[in-house]
Amino acid sequence: MSQSTCSKAKQTPPEWRGFGRHLLCATCGSPGPQGGMVPGVTAALKRHETLLAEIERVSSTGGFCWHAATGKMTCTDEVYRIFELDATKPVTLQLMGTRIHPEDLPLLDDMVERASAHASGFEYQLRLRTETVKYLLLNARRSEATDDQALYIGAIQDVTRRRLSEDALGTLRCELARLARVSSLGTLAASIAHEVNQPLTGITINASTCLEMLGSDPPDLDGARETARRTIRDSERACEVIARLRALFGKRGGKTESVDLNGAAREVIALSLSDLHRRRVTLRTEFAEDLPLVTGDRVQLQQVILNLLLNAAEAMSAVEDRPRQLLIRTEFDAANQARLTVQDTGVGFGPEEAPRLFEAFYTTKSGGMGIGLSVSRSIIESHSGHLWAELNAGAGATFAFSVPARESDCGAHDRSVVGAPVDTVRLMRRA
Amino acid sequence: MADAMLVTIVDDDESMRQSLPDLVSKFGFRVRTFTSAEEFLASDCVARTNCLILDVAMPGMSGPDLQRELSRLGQTIPIVFITGQRDQDLRRQLLAEGAVTCLFKPFSAAALREALNIALGVS
Repeated sequence: MSQSTCSKAKQTPPEWRGFGRHLLCATCGSPGPQGGMVPGVTAALKRHETLLAEIERVSSTGGFCWHAATGKMTCTDEVYRIFELDATKPVTLQLMGTRIHPEDLPLLDDMVERASAHASGFEYQLRLRTETVKYLLLNARRSEATDDQALYIGAIQDVTRRRLSEDALGTLRCELARLARVSSLGTLAASIAHEVNQPLTGITINASTCLEMLGSDPPDLDGARETARRTIRDSERACEVIARLRALFGKRGGKTESVDLNGAAREVIALSLSDLHRRRVTLRTEFAEDLPLVTGDRVQLQQVILNLLLNAAEAMSAVEDRPRQLLIRTEFDAANQARLTVQDTGVGFGPEEAPRLFEAFYTTKSGGMGIGLSVSRSIIESHSGHLWAELNAGAGATFAFSVPARESDCGAHDRSVVGAPVDTVRLMRRA
Repeated sequence: MADAMLVTIVDDDESMRQSLPDLVSKFGFRVRTFTSAEEFLASDCVARTNCLILDVAMPGMSGPDLQRELSRLGQTIPIVFITGQRDQDLRRQLLAEGAVTCLFKPFSAAALREALNIALGVS
């Protein structure tokens, strides 16, 4: 029974070659014995499949195979389990879409778009709106086993537990940073108080003594003059303390260098990305590639960008009914100025708040000092620029600043191509 | 009686050492000043001082250090602390250890007079 023969190979026994679950003749490709089924292979495969399923469960990772052109999709059991889908029905991208958090649906469109452009692979972080919110990591590569450019093989991992502990850690880190800030301010305030209180006490005591001396009979005029002089000296001392504080916290002689706002903004974004992710903010950038250099202090300008960015993120922290979207755009405007715009979909500001936005110590934030925007405006003004805010037509607000382009850059500029947004980066949303 | 009483001021801050003696003299007391706790301890004033106006934060031996040292030496000089740090916990602690009061800078001449009167038992 096992001694099957191959008519074309004319050899006994013929040489069989395995192909999947089947044995085919090495010479002619005709099915081998038992309709080509490998003896014992079914059982071995069964064991193997069980093992793979176990591994999938343990690692919370499911596999899928997706043909982007036809939309045909095959998934392993774990994908069904993660998406909480009916295992008897075939999975489609549309069906998966019904489980994905509405805010993350654009990522699915993005994936289809990329696949139709034959991207070699992609990675997304998605949220599912199943019974509880789940965080997924989707990773796919174009299959190398076939020439079909539309075939993608991927894995979907449920990273909810990891995300939740990361979130908890992030919250702790923020709280710690806030406490550190508050405590260093507290220390600072105490030492300032001490420095100022010394001469103030001198002023009070000297002035009181002066009055006592003038009020005595006969008045002690020499003593009164001396204490009045001391009063002046102590008030001068108090002024010196204030002057030292100004030197420490006020405008430092800013460095003057050529600054590429795009590069400066990219660095700030890189620093803030994980914070933005934690705040569930989607960031989009539109950087004009022909942006001229500006003259100024790079670090100060970055402080402004960071401030606008964090303010925008903060303004969106309470937003739940719409995507938290942040757009950072650079452009060369009509007035030969390099402009950077930060647009959010946050709570915006009321008409009564508008005139006060840039005032020092004006804040609507519970943990805020209210100095960010006022400091930002003074930095931009020291760069001969402007910083302003406006409400969006839709939700949220836009903060923008513009600073003059370096003179040598203005003339050389071809205004006809200016302002075209290039280098559009779409960053993954991380719930 | 009161003009015989000696008020000693220990403060590292020069403007305090210049302004306080004139005022305290105006109140009718004799005054001595020292720039540090160590200097005061080494002087002949410890046994003669009727009231101590003592700064809290000083380089070397601090005001509270001096308070403990005097207590160890069996000296029961009434102490009026003065300090630029508005620290209520420290104030409570100093009062618990026997200080008459603790004035936060800047304090008024009237507050100082009242403190001295209490310390010296005059009205």
